[in-house]
Amino acid sequence: MTAQRPLRLAAVAAALALLLSACGRDDDNADDTGGSDNTTETTAASDEDGGGDGGDAAAFIVPEEDCANYEGTKGIEGDTIKIGTVRPESGAYSIYDTITKGLEAYVTAVNTDGGVTAGDGKTYKLELVKADDAYDPAKTPAEVRRLVEQEGIFAMVGEIGTSNNLAVRQYMNDNCVPSIGLATGSPEWGKAAEYPWFIGGLPSYATEAHAFMEYLKTEKPAAKIALLYQDDDFGKAYQATIKKDIEGTDITIVDEQSFNPLTETSPESKVAQLATSGADVFFVGIGGAPCPAALRAQPSDWTPMTYISITCSGKTAMALAQGRDEGIYSTQATYDVGTAADQANPKVQEFFTKGAAAGLQEAELQGGIAAAGWGFGALFVRGLELTPTVDRATLMNTLYSLDGENFGLALDDAAAHTNGADDPWIIEDLRVIKRTAGSWEGVTELISYDGKSNDFVG
Amino acid sequence: MTSSSPAKSLGARRWVPLIALAAVAVVCLALPQVLSSYWTDTITTWIPLAVAALGLNLLTGYNGQISVGHGALFGVGAYTTALILNEWHWPFLVTVVASAVVCFVAGVVIGLPALRIKGLYLALVTLAVATLFPQILEQFSDTTGGSAGLGITNRELNRRGVMTDRSIRFEPPDLALLSADDAKASSQWRYYIFLLVAAICFLLVRNLVNSRAGRSIIAIRDNETAAEVSGVNVAAAKVFTFGISAALAGIGGSLSALELARVSSGTFTLVLSLNLLVAVVVGGTPSIAGPAIGAVFLGFFTNVITPEFPEDVKPLTPLILGVLLVVLMLAAPGGIVGMYRQLQARLAARRAISQTAISQVP
Repeated sequence: MTAQRPLRLAAVAAALALLLSACGRDDDNADDTGGSDNTTETTAASDEDGGGDGGDAAAFIVPEEDCANYEGTKGIEGDTIKIGTVRPESGAYSIYDTITKGLEAYVTAVNTDGGVTAGDGKTYKLELVKADDAYDPAKTPAEVRRLVEQEGIFAMVGEIGTSNNLAVRQYMNDNCVPSIGLATGSPEWGKAAEYPWFIGGLPSYATEAHAFMEYLKTEKPAAKIALLYQDDDFGKAYQATIKKDIEGTDITIVDEQSFNPLTETSPESKVAQLATSGADVFFVGIGGAPCPAALRAQPSDWTPMTYISITCSGKTAMALAQGRDEGIYSTQATYDVGTAADQANPKVQEFFTKGAAAGLQEAELQGGIAAAGWGFGALFVRGLELTPTVDRATLMNTLYSLDGENFGLALDDAAAHTNGADDPWIIEDLRVIKRTAGSWEGVTELISYDGKSNDFVG
Repeated sequence: MTSSSPAKSLGARRWVPLIALAAVAVVCLALPQVLSSYWTDTITTWIPLAVAALGLNLLTGYNGQISVGHGALFGVGAYTTALILNEWHWPFLVTVVASAVVCFVAGVVIGLPALRIKGLYLALVTLAVATLFPQILEQFSDTTGGSAGLGITNRELNRRGVMTDRSIRFEPPDLALLSADDAKASSQWRYYIFLLVAAICFLLVRNLVNSRAGRSIIAIRDNETAAEVSGVNVAAAKVFTFGISAALAGIGGSLSALELARVSSGTFTLVLSLNLLVAVVVGGTPSIAGPAIGAVFLGFFTNVITPEFPEDVKPLTPLILGVLLVVLMLAAPGGIVGMYRQLQARLAARRAISQTAISQVP
């Protein structure tokens, strides 16, 4: 019977641990965007392609040649198009679930209005199937596979997380299933020549950093930057672009600190370190709750020009800064639902009315996170309206040949242009904004970086 | 009651396991013929777990050593396969063997300190291995891909003239057994290969525990001092068992990497180690069939039952599994195999009683 004793101990330990993990599942996956796929050597390749396929005439994706197993109209049954999304419903990053609530609200609003009339003249209803990966890239592949093969979705829309999307990019590419309006701005999504089935729903983080650096060059040509960046793909995208942009200028990085969301809970000590560097610019390239925490951690005698990531510029995150958000900078491509002046815009008004009707709470409507999901839904639906036939490849080709589109909550002057691998980024019109008395105000005109997003990658 | 002679019924009972085994084999072979390719792929992911649990069962059930770190060894096997395939494009099955060898060495290295530390302390040391492993992968994310993972791919030129990664796949041979649909045939073929690898592993372990070395392994579990006195080289046997056990975990990891064509640090956490223990305990130990039964139980729970939970119950899944385990341990401390054995013993006792009753009739 002695043999049974260690085993019983183990069984009890296992049961206890499972119980514990049910209570607090924030273990090993808490990075905003981390890691890198095994594609580093291919960065240069996407520029070489050029317009080899003859510009507009030839389609970007040719399923007969690109796909071993092309099921173009899977997920369309009668007049219903089934789409899927993966988001963290549970876990430490479940705040991002609100993005999906925004997407869901958009789908509900479209269906309430009678559906979407696609380019083929037919009217379709949308059905959204959600899956939960708890922000754990190790869980994403199984969930996506279930959505694609078991639920039989037509496309993924607004899938959240850089690492999570990287974990399934190969699979989606192998199976020729579109993933539209990715809820991440990693420069990886610019590799359309290799991975044409992925198209981003945010501006590239590289373009974002570049927009601010351009502004900085005119405002503070001899700026001394203290850089706080997230120790993963997301943060390193900012770091690389900044380093590239200061070459040949008088701007210097006087200190840089990385913040690892996997092993660190607060950026406080890093901020304290940076505060002693004598920098007059503070670049906060981190996301999630640590972003406003970095603002809070600034000592009162250090008052640099502070920039925060576009991913944390919403009202929800700003409220966490506890008043330390006054005077900081960020960039924007869409109206800010938390800014009084923007709230009068008809698009924002429509979002408020229809979003509320679809069940979004007041705080969600103005928080900025749900608005992002609303935008991903709008992007997908705009694609459907434009595509001459509703199948996976034609829809992607349509999104890769946009000619001046404006959808969702995009600033009125913004116009999305795309052209296959030469110009795979949809959202490239940005302006630099400044936080003034709880609202964002533009400090530059809306600048178009159309077709250049891949150039800013460091 | 029964009219058969005792000798005859004993012979019939000896056939029961064989018939059961044949039935299981038929079901295993038939499954991919009736299931969709999604479900074939899903049940294929249970096979690596079964092989790894087999390894853990050898160590824990037969040898009495505890490891909470087999998830890490599983991971070592997976990364060995992934890195070899991405770098050198070896044949798949050769990478399985390579992973087994690497993990055998890793197991021996962990097994050496296990000579001095026992029970709960050994559990703690292996716990450290399990917790550290994902962090190490994270640390070397340039090579391992970190939490975003590393695809196992071949690079080929695509239509746009760009080198693109294509996931590795099992090229199905032209067999009537396999589906005409190429994608489905690939899934079926992979399943059959995995099944074969697993069957070989189970057979080898069965032969091992029935051999002289196996008796030494079990003797150490039952009474280490007595085993030593009887001439068993305790140190060598323990380290060897740890090595073999780790090699089996490595084979499991390798198969799982081949199945998913991807590895990522988040997969090989403590939770995986615990799941392997759960498979061993639920299946019942010490037994050969136990780990397979346990792996099927776990896979069934994760892939078949859990997706059916209502949305707001889903976050409670680990809690439900935990409660289920506690209940199972109270009801059947010997796991599913233990339950079967108990039932068998009870039946045998009843039969023996009725036999005596019959023989006492004048």
